[in-house]
Amino acid sequence: MTASWLPWIVAAWLFGIGLYGIISSRHYVHLIGCLAVVQSATYVLLLSIGYRHGAGPPFFHPHPPGTPSVDPVVQVLVLTDIVVGATVTALLLALVQQLQRRRGVVDPQQAAPLR
Amino acid sequence: MTPRVRTALFGVAALAILPVLIHVLPHLPKFGDHPSPYGDAVTASAPVARQTQNIVTALNFDYRGFDTLGEEFILLCAVTGVTVLLRGSRGEETSARPGQVHGRPILPPGESVTLISRILGILVLVLGLSISLHATSTPGGGFQGGVVIASGFLLVLLGEAYRGWRAMIRSEMMDALEAFGAMLFVACGFAGLCVGTPFMTNVLPLGTAGSVWAGGLMLVINAGVTCAVCGGFAVLFLEFLEETRVDPGAEE
Repeated sequence: MTASWLPWIVAAWLFGIGLYGIISSRHYVHLIGCLAVVQSATYVLLLSIGYRHGAGPPFFHPHPPGTPSVDPVVQVLVLTDIVVGATVTALLLALVQQLQRRRGVVDPQQAAPLR
Repeated sequence: MTPRVRTALFGVAALAILPVLIHVLPHLPKFGDHPSPYGDAVTASAPVARQTQNIVTALNFDYRGFDTLGEEFILLCAVTGVTVLLRGSRGEETSARPGQVHGRPILPPGESVTLISRILGILVLVLGLSISLHATSTPGGGFQGGVVIASGFLLVLLGEAYRGWRAMIRSEMMDALEAFGAMLFVACGFAGLCVGTPFMTNVLPLGTAGSVWAGGLMLVINAGVTCAVCGGFAVLFLEFLEETRVDPGAEE
């Protein structure tokens, strides 16, 4: 019974600790790492939704088409998002780098609001 | 807002949402037994209708090709943003020296490191190309293959040092590779319009499932995605590594 809840609990936990990391962060690079943790909660959730007991991968060789398989739709979403998410993380890191260079601030709690 | 207030606010919000979570959890579909009608429909039709063994590729570049086009442009925008932020403040000078921590000279890579990097570099390139080319016949594809190829570029930095890396991985080439990939993807979309079918219809002959050439237009889109992802990641590596160099204007 509890085992069938476990994936949802893991996703909620990842989301929660990631969010806590973001609000308590003292360094922008750490904050972006926490954002990646929050993002990975969605991967766990999506892949858990697609999982099916006793089913194989959504790929048919050598076993013929029609063999039970897990949901390929969520796998596509996760696959593209991992790659795109990595580049978006790079963009955020570049923003941090510019912030540090121009204002000398890397602590989100020290940063003055932008005017 | 002080950190204390913020943490308290987070605690209150978390406590408020916890009962909802506990109430919802038992009513979620059981893990491992979730209905997925859309996935099942695609899994049933793709092996024949699209002649692909890899359903993820069929979904990625055909059934949901339009969605992937959007993702592709998020990637392009993010990489463009990084380039504007980093290169914009630095210029396009290529004559810089690598940065150096005070008192720690930069030694040229040892011969064994160069040899291993060269051998591994070729192997990684071949592996990436193989993953990418077999998109419809194995569990591979342009996204995975492109990232593998781009990671292999870093071996050039390891084996050939900074000068060799700058000489070999040209930023104009990588910019062009990324733009070409994205353009190829869009062109594939318009290929359908040119023959009077909806946007991104698979207009090329499909071939037979299991062959490397099966999948029709999916293969072209896959090639475009490989170029765009590989070029995009190479630009990212290049821009971030350029941040460690010594500014050409600031000679000691």
